[in-house]
Amino acid sequence: MESLNALFSLGFATALTPANLLWALLGCTLGTAIGVLPGVGPAVTVALLLPVTQSVDPTGALIMLAGVYYGAMFGGSTTSILLNTPGEAGSIVSALEGNKMAKAGRAGPALSTAAIGSFVAGSIATVLLTLLAPVIAGFALQLGPVETFALMMLTFAAVSAVLGNSPLKGFIALMLGLSMGLIGIESQSGQSRFTFGLMPLIDGIDIVVVAMGLFAIGETLYTATYENKIAGRIESLKGSFWMSKDDWKRSWKPWLRGTAIGFPFGTLPAGGTEMPTFLSYSAERKLASPEAKKEFGKGAIEGVAGPEAANNAAVTGTLVPLLTLGIPTSATAAIMLSAFQQYNIVPGPLLFDTNPELVWGLIASLYIGNVMLLVLNLPLVGLWVQFLKVPRPLLYGGIVVLATMGAYALRQSWFDLMLLYIIGVLGFMMRRFDFPVVPLVVGLIVGPMAEKHFRRAMSIHQGDLTVFLTHPISLAILTVTAAILIVPPLMKRRQKMLQA
Amino acid sequence: MIKRVSGEQWLAFGIILLGLFMAWQLQDIPNDAGYAGIGPRFFPSLVVTGLIVAGGALLMQRRHSNGPDTILSDGENDAAEVEAEDEFARGDADWRMFAIASGSLIAHMALIGLVGFTLAGTLLCFGICRALDTRRPTLDLVLSFVLALGLFHLFKTLGLNLPALIPGGVL
Repeated sequence: MESLNALFSLGFATALTPANLLWALLGCTLGTAIGVLPGVGPAVTVALLLPVTQSVDPTGALIMLAGVYYGAMFGGSTTSILLNTPGEAGSIVSALEGNKMAKAGRAGPALSTAAIGSFVAGSIATVLLTLLAPVIAGFALQLGPVETFALMMLTFAAVSAVLGNSPLKGFIALMLGLSMGLIGIESQSGQSRFTFGLMPLIDGIDIVVVAMGLFAIGETLYTATYENKIAGRIESLKGSFWMSKDDWKRSWKPWLRGTAIGFPFGTLPAGGTEMPTFLSYSAERKLASPEAKKEFGKGAIEGVAGPEAANNAAVTGTLVPLLTLGIPTSATAAIMLSAFQQYNIVPGPLLFDTNPELVWGLIASLYIGNVMLLVLNLPLVGLWVQFLKVPRPLLYGGIVVLATMGAYALRQSWFDLMLLYIIGVLGFMMRRFDFPVVPLVVGLIVGPMAEKHFRRAMSIHQGDLTVFLTHPISLAILTVTAAILIVPPLMKRRQKMLQA
Repeated sequence: MIKRVSGEQWLAFGIILLGLFMAWQLQDIPNDAGYAGIGPRFFPSLVVTGLIVAGGALLMQRRHSNGPDTILSDGENDAAEVEAEDEFARGDADWRMFAIASGSLIAHMALIGLVGFTLAGTLLCFGICRALDTRRPTLDLVLSFVLALGLFHLFKTLGLNLPALIPGGVL
């Protein structure tokens, strides 16, 4: 109950100041507006708006970025339902059924169930975050560098082996991210590494440049090269906007089930929203009534309600490891972490003691942001749909200009623009050959942290590598890590043998 | 039988080359600053090894598979379906458009310090519109200029200084 106390006495007191309310509203609005643009997911939205927050105080800035994160998710569902172009992995499933519903003239109920489901899931997940975060932070205080390093290994294994369709490609993406993370001055010894004598590389490669390069520039190059001839079709918003009694009856259980599936997945280092949304989709498909089952594939409301809830619950779930352990488990969380670092704030168990106003203010603003987003996205959805009508060439032109501006603003140097282009070409190739980008982003951010903890562990234990196996918590984490790497390929092989 | 080297194999070569280049660069990192045998060179060595091994594995994987579809059709659930749809949707590459987009980005990089944010940004936005096969270039050129000028002034008020054509000017 201590956490509820802190939430109300500190959190809401911070979040309800006029300035912070304004930042939350601005974040939610900008997040929805940019998130609704086709092909733009939450990660790139947060990265695009990072430079805007530079002149804001840390609490206000983080409240705004959290609003952007949430808003981009809400906006993303609108796009996948009406245009069938999911901006990120988490909304692929909503596009499956949601776009079919829109085609059948049921865009209104599809958007409503997505928005209300996201609101329900987001609110429940925020309650869980409120109750769980201090407990986990308390536990995390007992973790030394050995255990923290093991946790980071688990994160690496999970993001590269579980996401995407090829663990090898995930691993390569992770290695590329780790390599980029090595560039610059190494924090323990002050040695510069892989800077090739170039001064601008001494500070390392900024995550803003990487995120914009991969997501904005890479995506634009890909679209220009491969997708010019594919024309999107916006489904119109006709018919009743509100959900019927039957729609409500069919939606509320999937919302709750989606939340129950999404939140735990978000909290695990096996992060990401891809798995829980797919799981929720298949669960709803199995549990649907016989009549509803026939609708799956043609636009079943359960197939939108469940995954949308799972998506939002998982996103809130990723804040648990981010705030309590300082470990980001998704691309967006990694960019959020860099926003903390921009203010020299280190997320982790100590954050609850050193910056309680900030943490609790941030959590309280999630409750407020959820309500704001429900209002912004239900009655005002017609406004966001106008954004979808921006012609694609101009839309990408605008995004690229914003991305270059964000990169240039870092140091006012053309060098960052060159890096942006090089990383854009890398993003283009990764997209072309189906490499997942999340491992790269997570590797870039977590890699240097993992090295620091590894070397700290080694200096405490006189270079004895067996400590990772003799410390019980570390052993348990590494066993799970090994299982993640070994079990899926074995199961695949067994399945093949059974089929043969 | 001589097989054509696929794009993915070229990529695998690239990854191995990158790994080897980094391995060569490793020698520039002094290793004596470490404690208990773990210096600033240790972690990079692991990453470099990982890159080379993974690049090699990618190369071998392509050699062993029979065609471009064997890896993709491995999954069994909806994820694979979506993936397959995506694969299907990829048309022929239009490298002229890739060149226009790249050229615009490189020109922007070279010009931003010379002609200022507004003009370089206009050119970039318009170039990207061309690369995305716009149907109404004149209107896009005007809108690109309006967008760049608007952003320039918006961020000037927010305290972010972008280069101008003439220092302190309106462009």
